[in-house]
Amino acid sequence: MSKKLKYLFFICIGLSIVAGFFITHEHVHFWWEKIPAFDAIFGFLGCIIIVIVSKALGHSWIQKDEDYYD
Amino acid sequence: MIDVVPPAFIFIFGALLLPFLRERRLRQLFQLLIPVIAFIDLLYMHNGTYWVYNFLGYDLILGRVDKLSMVFGYVFVIVAFLGMTYALHIREFGQHVAAFLYIGSTLGVTFAGDLFTLFVFWEIMAVSSVFLIWYRREKAALDAGFRYIMVHIFGGCVLLAGIIIHITNTGDTSFSVIEYGGLGSKLILIGFIINAAVPPFHAWLSDAYPEGTITGSVFLTAFTTKSAVYVLLRGFSGVEILIWLGAIMAIYGVVYAVLENDIRRLLAYHIISQVGYMVCGVGLGTEMAINGASAHAFSHILYKALLFMGMGAVIHVTGKRKMTELQGRGLYKKMPITLSLYMIGAFSISAVPLFNGFISKTMIVAAAGELHRPIIHLLLHLASIGTFLHTGLKLPYGTWFGKSNGETGIIEEELEAKEPPLNMLIAMAMAALLCIITGVYPKVLYDLLPFTVSYHPYTPQHVVSMMQLLLLTGAAFWLYIDKLGGEPTISVDTDWFYRKPGVFILWLCSHPLQDIRLRLQRAFTGMVTNVAGLSKNPVLIPEIIVRNIQLKIYTILYHNSEPPENKLKKIDEVKYKINVLKEISYNEHIYRRPIGAGVLLAIAFLFLYGLIYFIKIN
Repeated sequence: MSKKLKYLFFICIGLSIVAGFFITHEHVHFWWEKIPAFDAIFGFLGCIIIVIVSKALGHSWIQKDEDYYD
Repeated sequence: MIDVVPPAFIFIFGALLLPFLRERRLRQLFQLLIPVIAFIDLLYMHNGTYWVYNFLGYDLILGRVDKLSMVFGYVFVIVAFLGMTYALHIREFGQHVAAFLYIGSTLGVTFAGDLFTLFVFWEIMAVSSVFLIWYRREKAALDAGFRYIMVHIFGGCVLLAGIIIHITNTGDTSFSVIEYGGLGSKLILIGFIINAAVPPFHAWLSDAYPEGTITGSVFLTAFTTKSAVYVLLRGFSGVEILIWLGAIMAIYGVVYAVLENDIRRLLAYHIISQVGYMVCGVGLGTEMAINGASAHAFSHILYKALLFMGMGAVIHVTGKRKMTELQGRGLYKKMPITLSLYMIGAFSISAVPLFNGFISKTMIVAAAGELHRPIIHLLLHLASIGTFLHTGLKLPYGTWFGKSNGETGIIEEELEAKEPPLNMLIAMAMAALLCIITGVYPKVLYDLLPFTVSYHPYTPQHVVSMMQLLLLTGAAFWLYIDKLGGEPTISVDTDWFYRKPGVFILWLCSHPLQDIRLRLQRAFTGMVTNVAGLSKNPVLIPEIIVRNIQLKIYTILYHNSEPPENKLKKIDEVKYKINVLKEISYNEHIYRRPIGAGVLLAIAFLFLYGLIYFIKIN
């Protein structure tokens, strides 16, 4: 079951990227919107950046013990 | 034709009547009936200005009806019905009264046509909503409630100051576009953005909303911030600073959501993030952006209520509110319906096509594109990633699935849990249905928006780009799945500035200031006791004074040498006599003189008078 889901997931990613090459771009305001897989790359890298930056900020500064205010 | 009444009054009337309904079923019926009546009332309201009352020379306008106020009015009443369904099992009527007052005052704000009416309802909103937090009755909730109300009272004061300055300068009490520039308009803007939870004034939201009652928090998520978005749309659309504040806010909420362990606090940070989109839309100020902000507020209220209901249901049945306590304990087996309904909300907030977030959020992002604002466009895109990462993936994974903490090495038992009460499930199902209906058939929502909508959400470009963004976010989540579990920590936020120094101020009050107060009090009470002691027997005052002087003389005489034996005896004798004298209370039989004290006094005064007269004559 889990394996099937995994394959389904990869197929979906593949399809969405392939579809990016075939669609027409009507409202293009920025140059990067013309790159077919831009959103895929942005999503992947953006997610990693969010996690790394937030965790770094959290561990170095923001996160405190639960009884911090008590 | 039915006469319409201000929708605010329907709810406030409901709040007043509710305590008198003792029969439980009747009360439940009444709770659901009030939003329905209000909804019908809204259907009969047409554009225009109603209910204008003259008060001290100013016009109070209770009903300014146009498309902008109507779209907010509709969604407020809809979520009132959903929230009431969700809270139907609560027997404590006080919570329902607070909720009704809160909803009523929000509708009052929505339809207020002048600044005074706006302010009055604004304050009722703050005061009534805090009870939805306090009714949880735990110390954390009481404390958070106090912080919540203090921030809102501060915000209200700033707003009032701004309103007064604005009216003095312009002489106009009506609430419409406020020209941004002078001090008055800036103060009004600050008052508004405190309620919209714009950083750095946002910490009250993530502090208080997770501490509210399970049912009360559902109301809280809907009204305060979104009514603030409404007043911003009305007064400050197109103000440049709001674009940046909104975009920063969208990212800010995401960063904190990564770190959060409390399931409802994580959602609260995503309210801040989502309201960021709306505030950004307000700042962009084009027709499309205003449409987008209104539509997103509409969608947001529905899916955020659904998400809070879902997490509230988890807390209701398990009593646990932290991911570290929930993950890896097989909750998905026990609550599949809640999980499915929650996921509909999660897909909606993540803007998955066919759900309502997609048709509204993308509109704001597209408006940023139309205005050629690359940085804003990318920041909003980035916040979309974070939204799906947390609400759509991390939170459900950590709550229902997940692995228990690897560090402890103990595999925890499965939690005892079941589906929540039926009314909760029905409320969630209705909210989920509305999310899907407006997502699949956006025209129902687009027709309500203030301007004609020319935006088409379901173009291949929009759908494919959104799917790429979300799917690859999922892939990245998979990479970090082990690192994204909850951590047993809390995050310091800007509430630090009033919580930590607050402890110092409390110390300052309870130690040095209290000490001064006690000293002063002691001095005064000492004085009062002495006077009171003397007044017990005024006749003896001369004698006591004489004895005291005698004692004083002795102590001065012998202050650095030991007094001789006989004097020592004398001193003790005097002291003893003073004490005895002080104990004697007035008794007229003892002190009756042969000619009576009164006659003596009269003669004394007469003599005195004569003396003064005599001196004066000479």
